[in-house]
Formats: sequence, C-alpha cells, structure tokens
Amino acid sequence: MKKMLAVVLTAAMGCSLLGGCSGGGSTGGGAQQAATGGTEAAGDSSGTSAAPVDASMYEVTEPITIQWWHALEDQYSQTVAEIVEGFNSSQDLITVEATYVGSYAQTNEALVAANAAGTGLPAVTVANTPYVAEYGAGGLTEDLTPYIQATGFEIDDFGKGMVDASSYDGKQVALPFLISTQIMYYNKDMADAEGITIPEKWDDMDAFLEKASVVNGGTTERYGTIIPGWDQWYFETFYLNQGVKLINDDQVSTDLGSETAVGLVHKFREWVDKGYVNWTTMDSDASSNMRQAFIDGKAFSVVHTSSLYNTYVDKCDFEVGMAWLPGGDTKDQEIGGCVLLIPSKNDQATKNAAWQFLSYLCSKEVNMKWAKETGYIPTRNSVLQTEEGVEFLKEKPAFQCIFDNLDLINPRIQHPGWNQLSTIWKNYMLEIMVEDVDIPSKLEDMVEEINEVLEDA
Amino acid sequence: MEKKPFMKPRTVSAVKDFVCVLPALIFLAIFTYYPICKLIQISFTDWNLLNDRWNYVGLKNWVWLFNGSGTKHLLNSLKVTILYSIGELAITLVGGLIFALIFNRMNSAFSFMRAVVFVPKYVAMSSAAVVFLWILNTDNGILNHMLTSLGLPAVDWLGNRNTALLSVLMLTGWRAVGYGMMIYLSAMIGISKDYYEAAALDGATAVQRFWKITIPMLSPTTLFLFVTTFISSMKVFQSVDILTKGGPYRSTEVFVYKIYLYAMEDFRMDRASVIAIAFFVLLLIITASTFKVSNSSVHYDS
Repeated sequence: MKKMLAVVLTAAMGCSLLGGCSGGGSTGGGAQQAATGGTEAAGDSSGTSAAPVDASMYEVTEPITIQWWHALEDQYSQTVAEIVEGFNSSQDLITVEATYVGSYAQTNEALVAANAAGTGLPAVTVANTPYVAEYGAGGLTEDLTPYIQATGFEIDDFGKGMVDASSYDGKQVALPFLISTQIMYYNKDMADAEGITIPEKWDDMDAFLEKASVVNGGTTERYGTIIPGWDQWYFETFYLNQGVKLINDDQVSTDLGSETAVGLVHKFREWVDKGYVNWTTMDSDASSNMRQAFIDGKAFSVVHTSSLYNTYVDKCDFEVGMAWLPGGDTKDQEIGGCVLLIPSKNDQATKNAAWQFLSYLCSKEVNMKWAKETGYIPTRNSVLQTEEGVEFLKEKPAFQCIFDNLDLINPRIQHPGWNQLSTIWKNYMLEIMVEDVDIPSKLEDMVEEINEVLEDA
Repeated sequence: MEKKPFMKPRTVSAVKDFVCVLPALIFLAIFTYYPICKLIQISFTDWNLLNDRWNYVGLKNWVWLFNGSGTKHLLNSLKVTILYSIGELAITLVGGLIFALIFNRMNSAFSFMRAVVFVPKYVAMSSAAVVFLWILNTDNGILNHMLTSLGLPAVDWLGNRNTALLSVLMLTGWRAVGYGMMIYLSAMIGISKDYYEAAALDGATAVQRFWKITIPMLSPTTLFLFVTTFISSMKVFQSVDILTKGGPYRSTEVFVYKIYLYAMEDFRMDRASVIAIAFFVLLLIITASTFKVSNSSVHYDS
C-alpha cells in the first residue's frame, strides 16, 4: 500500500511538473484548431488576389478600433503619439491604439504566441527584417498584393531592395517601415586631428586599427573600433563581401567553415588580442556600454545601426562621422530595422482598417517625419531623388555615405532556418573572441550544428 | 413489503466520493493530462510554431535528441540543471537549517530578524532579478565596487562561464534560504522536549543532541524540502531568463530555458517537446528514487 502510494505520489508530482513545462504543448492543440480557421482566412485572401481586384472589398464601412504593436522605445514615444493622433484625427471610422510590446525579439515572441493561439493578434505589427521569411513561409502574414492593387498604393516608389526585403516567395507580405543599415560611426574631430583615414577595404583595416587604437603596455586606452557581438547582423557583411556564402546555393549547408571564413575569424581574434577591437558581449546593457565608450572617447569608432544617428549626435560633444563599412570584393550591406505587416488570422474588417493605417504609416510624409526625427533612412525614391532629399542631407550631411550607396543595401538572407543559424553563429563567435578556445575545432562544431539546422529547416 | 433501495449504501457512498473529486479530475484532465498527451503527439511531428499544419515524422526527433546534434545540448542542459539543483538544495537545506538554528529563539527581536530573512521569498522573481542585474553589473555594480574597495579585482559575474551559474544561485539563495529556515523552524518546535531532557540526563553534549535527535527528527521535513526544492530547482527559468539568457556559451542553459529557446526562439515545437518529455521522465525517475530511499531513512515518529 505504501509502495502504491509512493508510486501515485511520484506520478502526480511528475505530471504536475510536466504540465508546468508543457505550455507549448497545450498551446499547440489550440494552435492546431485555430490554425484551421487561419488557413481558411488566408485562403480567402489569396483567392482574392487571383480574382480581379474589387476595391470595395477593402473599404472600411463601420467604426472599428485596432491595435498596433511596435518596438519603438521611450525616446520615440512622442513621435509615435503624434503619428497615431494624426491618423486618428484624419478620419472618423478607425481608432488606432499603439502598444509598445518590447524589443524586436519580444515582439516576435508575442506575435508568434498570439498567432499560434489564434487570439489577441494585433491588426498591424512591426517585425524585424529577418523574420519576414519565416513569417511568410509559415503563413502568418497577409498577402498585401490585392490591397496594393485595390487602393493603388505606390509600391514602386520604394527602392527595390526594400520591396524585396518585405516580400517572400513573390508575395508582398509586408511593407518597409523604419529602415536602417550597418554603419561605422567615428569621431570626426579625432580623425581630423590625428590624420586617421577611414578604411574603405577590409585590407585597409590593419593600418586603420593600428593608428586608431591606443594600447599602452598591453592595456587598451582607446579601441580602434567596437563590434557588437550581440547581433551577427553587424559582422555578417564582412563575410558576404569576401564572397563567403552564409547559406550555400544548395540551401542546406554553410560556407562558414571555408578557408576565407576561417581567415576572417582569425583576423578578428588577432585584433581582439592586440587590443584594437572590442568584441562586445550579449549582455542587456552591451549596446549602451558600447555607446558610452564611444561618447567617452574610449573608442575611435563603433559599428552600429544608422537608426541611432540622432542619439549619437545628441550625446557626443564632438562631430560624429558616418562611414560605409569596409568592403571586400563587393561593398554590399543589408537592410535593418523593421517592416509592417498584417497577421492573416485577423477578420477582413480588421485587415481593411489595418491596411489603411499601414498605408498611412508608410506614406511619404510619415516616413520623412521618422527620418528627420531619428536616424532611419528615407524609403521613398520620390524623396531621395528630389529637393526633399537635398534638404534632408543639409540637415544630416553624414547620411551622404548612405545616399551614395543606396543601391548596395540588400535584403536580408531569407531562409526558414536563418534565425537558428544566426543564434548559433553569434554564440560561437562570442566564445571564440572572448575565451581561450581552439578556434578550428570550435568552428568545426559550429559548421556541423548550422548544417544540421539548415538540413532540417 | 420493504422497498429495495436503488443502490447499495456502499455504492451511494462511492458515487458521492467520485462526484466530489470529479471537478479536480476534470481540471487535471484538461490542464495536465491532455497537454502531456499532446506533447507526446507533437514529439512525433515536425511542427514549427509558425506553421498551421504538421506532418508525422516518426522517431526523427528522438533520434536527433539521443543520437544526433541534440545529444550534446541535452547533456549540457542536464549538467547545468543538476549543478544548479545541487546549489539550490545546498542553500535551502544547509542554509535553511543553519538560519533555523540561529533564529530559534522566541522573542520579538528574533521574530523581526526571521521576517527579514524570510521576506525575500515574497519579492517577485522578476523584480529581484532586475535588482541583481544591477548588483552584479561589471562596471557599476555594488558587488564589484565592494570587491575593488577591498583591493580585489572586479569580476564579470554574468559574462564569465565560471561565475554565471553562481550568480544565478546568489539570487536563488537570497530568496530561498528564508523559506528553508521557516520550514525547519516549524519542525523544530514540533520536536518533543522530552528527547532533549532525557539525552541531557544521560550526559549527551549539545552537538550529540543535534546529530542524534534534531537531525533524525527533522528527516521528514528534510525529505519534504528536498523533494519540493529539487523539483522547483529543476524548473528554474525566470532568473536565468532575466540574468543570463542561458549564456555565456550555454553555461546557464538549464532544461526549461532550453525548452523555451527551442519553442519560442527557434519555433521548433517538435524539438522542444522531445526535450520536455525526456526531462519529465528524468524527474519521474529521480523523484521515485527519492521516495524509495526515504522509506528506509526517514523517521515519522516525532
């Protein structure tokens, strides 16, 4: 009897425990059911795209309140409030409520969970650019093509790279919203005073870092540059421009174990060992620590997103320069920032209202407001190639390097396993840069892990 | 003629009993057993959280876990979780017992001190973790400030693979030790004074009384604390999520956090489910073993 009791108690405790750990499992059941409805909804809209476009299907006829999820932090709250208020007061039927969900990663988690549950979805949400492929492949996003056709939205006014970055498998599953790219911020006063030349090529980096860094007796007093280790986006173009294919053409393997890729890793590590480069950790305060080091003159330059231009300029008491990252065989860069999308499981009335708000957010006027008040790039050709673009450059001359290279800003790599690949890659890179490890064997492990993920994606 | 009852009294009683437990059974069935069944089902599929449909893939996920690239992650999470559990058990049991012995005085001053030690248990883990983020900050944290004031080098508590798990345990210890103390204190009060008086008459020293009376008489409490702390420690998540996010280099990637990463970052519900089931079976075995051992070494006759 005692044994029996023990067995029952053990089973009950274990079951409660597993119940606690298996939220995903229970959600899964709900998701499967909700998913059926979602598929039908998605089927409706794709059917619409095939049929002749009837504009009346996308009109808003009754008052509706919709949610907009965003990841725009406190410094943008005033701009967000003004933009939402501007839309709400511009018409009578739609009321938008903006909700700050958290970082891009947190917004992603919340969105995927709501999508799986089939409830609590926003009408419109932002999404970091690398998620477009996974969302598109999974059917989370509404195909916006029929909406664009029905309302005559000027999609061709966006640069090709931006349109491609918000498409998946030939479908316009999102629209470019706040677009940025990788950039090197540098201390222009210091560069002028010390005659430091900003590197244009990877091969110029040795000389640049030697001159820009100040290392005394093995202690670094000023880093030549800081590379963010928390996001592989900041160092992946160094690989791409040397011809390294992060995902090979077969789509199931990576070139990160190639001689060129291994050479790059050794070079980075050499600079770290010499005290020229600071490879940051993934701590939550890594970004602010990096900014502070630059502001305090403890780093000559930092690799960061162009969207933070205003923040850097406001905080630094010296002139902030912006430079295109050093290239190799090519000097391409990648789109960063976020797109806007409409979850496909929403009902049609919500989607119609969402489309109106989305069109407004991506309009030229709103985009220019963002570009002026932050460091995001103007997305419209009609701005970039006109007087407005000239005016913008007068206000922010450092953006000239971006305007000069706009055609070189490419979409992110689109692969269902990309998210997993990038996590594995940045984790191994950090370990290699910070710890005393056997680099070839670590890279071997990394490539094996990435290949396995790609094969199974 | 006397009318025959519809049911025998014993049957009526059994039906009544069943009806009484039915709500609990329904609750368990919906919120515990159904998810478990669903989890087992998902482990044989290729379900990605983003996709609407899944396909059955047989034992593919299990092969991945036990004979593929998943094995090293499983073993790493197993090692990290067990190390964490040992740490939390040591803090709760040994620390709790020491504090209970220190604060086992029934007056208002000690009552206040007991409250001070116990209160952290009621501070929300997320709030406490944020405070510890600041305490453990390499550049501006108060802990490193104290170390450097004493002439010691600053430590990258959360960024070093050798100290990250210890840092998580600091937070755990701060919250858990008061709980262990209170449970032990209540058990100590329940031990009859007769044992101590008889032992004292026989010339037993205080140390002998502690080892020969207190410790054995506390064994049911120790078992309770061991099992509940062990299970809760195996489920640690929040502190890891806020303090280290499983890093650096997977040195704090405990089981539940690994399950979360697969499910919510990689969207791989299939892989998350096989790890969750493996985790469940492991806990079942350990908990069953604990009960087995307890039969021979726990004294229930205080």
